[in-house]
Amino acid sequence: MSKIRGKILTIAAAAILLAGYSGQAAEKSVKETKAGEKVVPKAAATNATANAAKAFEKVSKELYPKAQQEGNLIVYSVWDVEHLRIITDAFMKRYPGIKANYWQGTNPNIVTRVLTEFQGGQASFDVVLSDNAPPVLRAAGAIAPYDTVQKSVLLLYDPTMPTVSLQVQALTYNTKKLKAGDVPKSWEEVANPKYKGLVALDDPMRAGPISSMLAGLKEQWKNDARFTNFVKGLKALNVPVHKSTSAMFRLVISGEYSICMPALLHDVMEEKEKGTPVEYVKSVPPVLFPRQAGIYIKAPNPNAGKLFAEWLISMEGQETIDKIGRESSRIDFKSKTSVESAFGKNTKPVPVSDKGFLEDPKKWLDTYVKPIWEG
Amino acid sequence: MITHSWNSIKLVFRQGTFVPLLASAIAGGAIITPVVIVLWRSLTTGKLGFSVGLTLTNYVRVFGDRDILPMLGNSMVYAGGAAALGTGLGALLAWIVARTNTPGKTLVELMPLYPILMPPIMKNIAWILLLAPRSGILNNMLQQFFGIEAQPFNAFSMAGMIWVFGLACVPLGYLFLLPVFLSFDPSLEESAYIAGSKPANTMLKITFPLAIPALFSAFVLNFLRGLRSFETPVLQGVPGNIKVFVSRVYDSMALEFNSGLATAYSIVLVALSVVVLLVYVRATRFSERYATITGKGYRVKVIDIGPWKYVTFLTVFLYFLAGIAIPFVVLIVVSMIPYFDYDTFMKFPSNMVFTNYVTVLKHPSFITGLYNSLVLSTTIAVVTVLAGIVMAFTIYRTRAYGTKLFEFIGTLPLAFPPLVLSVGLVIVFLGTPLYNSLWALGLGLFVAYFPYAFRNASGSIVNIHKELDEAAWVHGAKWRHVFFKITLPILKPAVGGALFYIFIEAIRNVDVAVLLTSPGKEYGPVTLFEYFRVGQWAEAAAGGVIYLIILIIAVSVAKFAFKMKFSL
Repeated sequence: MSKIRGKILTIAAAAILLAGYSGQAAEKSVKETKAGEKVVPKAAATNATANAAKAFEKVSKELYPKAQQEGNLIVYSVWDVEHLRIITDAFMKRYPGIKANYWQGTNPNIVTRVLTEFQGGQASFDVVLSDNAPPVLRAAGAIAPYDTVQKSVLLLYDPTMPTVSLQVQALTYNTKKLKAGDVPKSWEEVANPKYKGLVALDDPMRAGPISSMLAGLKEQWKNDARFTNFVKGLKALNVPVHKSTSAMFRLVISGEYSICMPALLHDVMEEKEKGTPVEYVKSVPPVLFPRQAGIYIKAPNPNAGKLFAEWLISMEGQETIDKIGRESSRIDFKSKTSVESAFGKNTKPVPVSDKGFLEDPKKWLDTYVKPIWEG
Repeated sequence: MITHSWNSIKLVFRQGTFVPLLASAIAGGAIITPVVIVLWRSLTTGKLGFSVGLTLTNYVRVFGDRDILPMLGNSMVYAGGAAALGTGLGALLAWIVARTNTPGKTLVELMPLYPILMPPIMKNIAWILLLAPRSGILNNMLQQFFGIEAQPFNAFSMAGMIWVFGLACVPLGYLFLLPVFLSFDPSLEESAYIAGSKPANTMLKITFPLAIPALFSAFVLNFLRGLRSFETPVLQGVPGNIKVFVSRVYDSMALEFNSGLATAYSIVLVALSVVVLLVYVRATRFSERYATITGKGYRVKVIDIGPWKYVTFLTVFLYFLAGIAIPFVVLIVVSMIPYFDYDTFMKFPSNMVFTNYVTVLKHPSFITGLYNSLVLSTTIAVVTVLAGIVMAFTIYRTRAYGTKLFEFIGTLPLAFPPLVLSVGLVIVFLGTPLYNSLWALGLGLFVAYFPYAFRNASGSIVNIHKELDEAAWVHGAKWRHVFFKITLPILKPAVGGALFYIFIEAIRNVDVAVLLTSPGKEYGPVTLFEYFRVGQWAEAAAGGVIYLIILIIAVSVAKFAFKMKFSL
């Protein structure tokens, strides 16, 4: 059992995040296939679902009266305003008496604003809902640790900040520009010189998606030579690097480039629905980055914040998240963007769990990527 | 020195100029406070949340950065090129509109006006779609219709960057120069014509040299805007591997969340701004030389430029096409097709969809955000322009000692990238009742746009000969008589232009507003123009088109129904 647990922990997360199927209930029921993938038997998953539902109902009953007394909930988030409106409306409908409001900004804007308010002792908001920002804020001491009661159903688990959704990176290409047979079969193959001029490459030094991919791959490979070759290979493509993944994705759609390194799965799914000529490579394991709900340490409405985080993880909350096209963080939630349905049952994703990267991406990149990239 | 200071103080009280002096000091205080705060942060050790004591670490890092010089070189070429193109073209358009007998008067007056309404980032996206090497509409058209494979256009090049940002600089040049040409004593030009000079020669040797202060003011502003501009370098420079200095400032914020380091990098921009300002002050130190409005009275006279009038019409029309018509059409099409690539673009209108408009109109903050931004932008435009004129008046028309300091303070915010400046503003407002209110946002916009109002007023005041004021001072007039009865009426054309420009800039501001908006206090452009930043070009185009239509209607109603003049 301890061996299995050890393996799970290895895959799952370095210090903070436990990638893979974690939580005690799920942990006990994980089996290993011949290929080494971790799978959760259906019965175990069902148990975990039922347990999580019970735990959620219990915590909801405890927190709701307190949250109702607080009366408000203020969320800072990187998510689109339309998405935030849908989510907060659904939350207010579920929990009458709590008025939810939000402020939207980019990750750097969120971090700047929160840390400035934190330094100024301002009790200005309750929850930060984002990807890159929460770990940085936690490292600065601006996040109050909160361990979700529904951890048994989470794909990426963090004992201090509930993971409410996932950012899923997929290797994507323009189907008008590249035939299916010519696409790279792995992340590493993108560095093949034959793709020179075809790749739209995210800037590895900007702490964006490709930076987190590098952190995830380094953690998974545990092979410095392989990692170095990969970064060198990308550098050798000698293509310009981009500062915005979304803008880069647009250039791939327009045909300026053929391969998007990388694209976000929910963007790809949305575009595919419109009939846009893009497709992702299903055989390339997705990179998973947590989107978390961190409770602000000076939150004026901490109970409302915790209730919001728990509700987001609940089936009801996940359905709302799915409705806006974002990926579920639960192992037992099936949707078109869930890893299993988008990439296949036996996919072994690449979780980004390196605490060093999550909390100080600049330092991590300066240590592990810059010497190769700029060397 | 002491005698000089004492005399200066006595004069201030005799003329009553302590009132504008006090008003300027208040405006200066509002501007300098966030600036001092960000400068102070640059002297602290670290990141937000980790501030520990004073140190020069950030500066050591900045001046030890080996990439600074090449990046600065790129920035100078980009900002200088765009400012020269934008200011030059703006001045040319202003001269054509104000001084020539170009046919189609109403059309010629309107054509340079409407491109101002198009936010620079919309121009960026439209020109990328037009000029991208492989997927761009123009290169593909050349290939499809003329068999040219060479892909001569490249949006992701220095030339492409200068072209697009240069177009975005034209409005400022136009609005700064138009009032000058409109209030120009044409006797000097007439003398040149009598002496046999050709129109082009007269324009280059007589007209434009006399407009140097306003021309220089517009160039300085456009140059500084170019130095700190981020959208064009990110959207067009990065894919072309062209790195500019300001990206270091943004990396410090976005990667290290270190506003102190970002400010230290900004100091390089401040130093450059100081140099540019010193050159400006030196070049205009004998401001009487450039005064074209004198006590002798003046009359605006339209010059008959003969057959050249068709060339000038064509020039205005071509600018209208490049400035708004072509990019606007591209954006309209992009907003109504499922996705953009050349084939899909060319299939329009058979593949027309309206889903993007539905999405934007259902945007939660569209209506309230639009209302807030309309009210706030109008208020801020009026307050900022008035404060700018008062400060310019204080500097150039009162003889109070030390007023030249305002010259520096009034332009200072322009040297700081907006995100850095807004951190200072957030710190100023934290803990006060203003924080998380629309007042804070209003004050932020005031600080951000004050340099435009101030430099616009400076450029115009310099053109009014001091003899007009001096006549009033001699007769014992107080400042209010001089200001309200002489200066302000003469500045009327400049006031209209500045009001219009600041209103348009404020209503689409994202950079300053983003940290100063708060939950429940929506500001339309922040969320709407975020579409552009996050790459949702179709929704962004739809939002931009709606915004643009609203602005076009607002400006047209103001011009035709209420006879408002935007320097026209």
